[in-house]
Amino acid sequence: MKGKKLSISNIEDALNQFLMNEHHLVFGFKTGTDGIHHEIFKDTLDSYSLINPVFQTNGALYVRRLFSKGVQVLLMLRPCEIRAYVELHKLTQIEREDIIAISIDCLGTLSSKNFKNHVPTDIDQLADYFRNNNSMRWACSQCSEKRGVVGDAGIRFDKNSNLWVIPYTERGEGFVSNIEGDFEDVPAEMLIDKSEKTEKFQVTMETFSKDFETCIMCMNCRDMCPVCYCVDCVFNGDEYVAKGDALFNKILRTGSMKLPQGKELFHLIRMYHVSQTCVGCGACEEACPQGIPLTKYFKGVSERLQALFSYMSGKRFDEPIPYITFREDELKEAED
Amino acid sequence: MAEYKKNKNLEIVGFACSYCSFKASEMAGSLRMKYPEGVKIVEVPCSSRVDPAFIIKAIVEGADGVFVSGCHPGDCHFIKGNYYTRRKIAALKEMFNAFSMQGRLRLFWVSASEARRFVEKVSSMYNHIKEKNNEREKA
Repeated sequence: MKGKKLSISNIEDALNQFLMNEHHLVFGFKTGTDGIHHEIFKDTLDSYSLINPVFQTNGALYVRRLFSKGVQVLLMLRPCEIRAYVELHKLTQIEREDIIAISIDCLGTLSSKNFKNHVPTDIDQLADYFRNNNSMRWACSQCSEKRGVVGDAGIRFDKNSNLWVIPYTERGEGFVSNIEGDFEDVPAEMLIDKSEKTEKFQVTMETFSKDFETCIMCMNCRDMCPVCYCVDCVFNGDEYVAKGDALFNKILRTGSMKLPQGKELFHLIRMYHVSQTCVGCGACEEACPQGIPLTKYFKGVSERLQALFSYMSGKRFDEPIPYITFREDELKEAED
Repeated sequence: MAEYKKNKNLEIVGFACSYCSFKASEMAGSLRMKYPEGVKIVEVPCSSRVDPAFIIKAIVEGADGVFVSGCHPGDCHFIKGNYYTRRKIAALKEMFNAFSMQGRLRLFWVSASEARRFVEKVSSMYNHIKEKNNEREKA
């Protein structure tokens, strides 16, 4: 694999050059007084940060329904965010025409809930920081793809803290060729390795009920999920649960009822609905005010269901989502 | 999840394709074959009309089991509907397995002439769930 060896200032120069055109935008991270956050840059970069060690939201949330006509957008985001973007593209929520997606190696992130200042943003220091304490989010510690190997191009870190930019598609090649430097062979060993497989997710209905007992049905998890995009969600309003007279009839028929009702229904249906597109970023857990371990369930279930079709969400542009395609001769064991 | 009431009759919700399995259930009736009365059949225009949300809702609201029944692969009235069904239900089954709810959901293919097969499939599912419930009550 060929790529270009760079320093951070090379990348900033390249991005600034890209922004010279008034119809070009860069979506990345900015260091502010209150930490690092997402920012869409126009004209010039300002306090740009290549990596963001604190997870607030998934950036793909902001590129939803982006049908940019004539405006080129360069996404410089984490692998999970680029994967969510790829899935949204497959779900026809984004026009890919004018977007260049670049995934940047991720060392893991902290939760914005217990974020304390002074998290290093230097690559080596951050790697040491995570090695020395276990403050990494659960979702990140279980992440199956921290490498920047998705999207149109990737920025990888090697063991000598050099940056490598590697194109994966024609569009990525177009961007990389504008950066100074020559193509070289990329070293085989990188700072971040492929993560090994974890065991299959298995729980019982009882533990599920217990974990979700404190849910207050605020639906923040749905609103913050990058791939939960339906405009008319079935859980908008309260038509899906019995209310008024119907509620009391139901209680008379079936016995006492815990309120708010329908939380298990909501989470199970949503879990199935995003199963093939879930990227396991943990934005739902980040948004949950009750601290429910949502990632454990959503990531666990989605990995099991994706393994059924040997699919990995957001990995490739040309792989269709399993539910909208089929093979004639398969899944004999599913029939009874 | 709704608590099990003791000595409650089993309730099984079935989604049957109107072109084949529902016809088979009607034929079973006209041939005076018997299948358990706890089986409630919902007629759907095609087995792929069954949104997995229907199945999850049925289970969460207290059904003991759910089955989805359609035409044999390749015989779908809408050409390829049941291939999609198979993928969706296979994934939902995997999810139920993850939650240790094996056996609560079944998928089978019954054509319009296979009344006997329909009765066999439905009764075997009913008996299987009944056995499991009895075991749980004992334990």
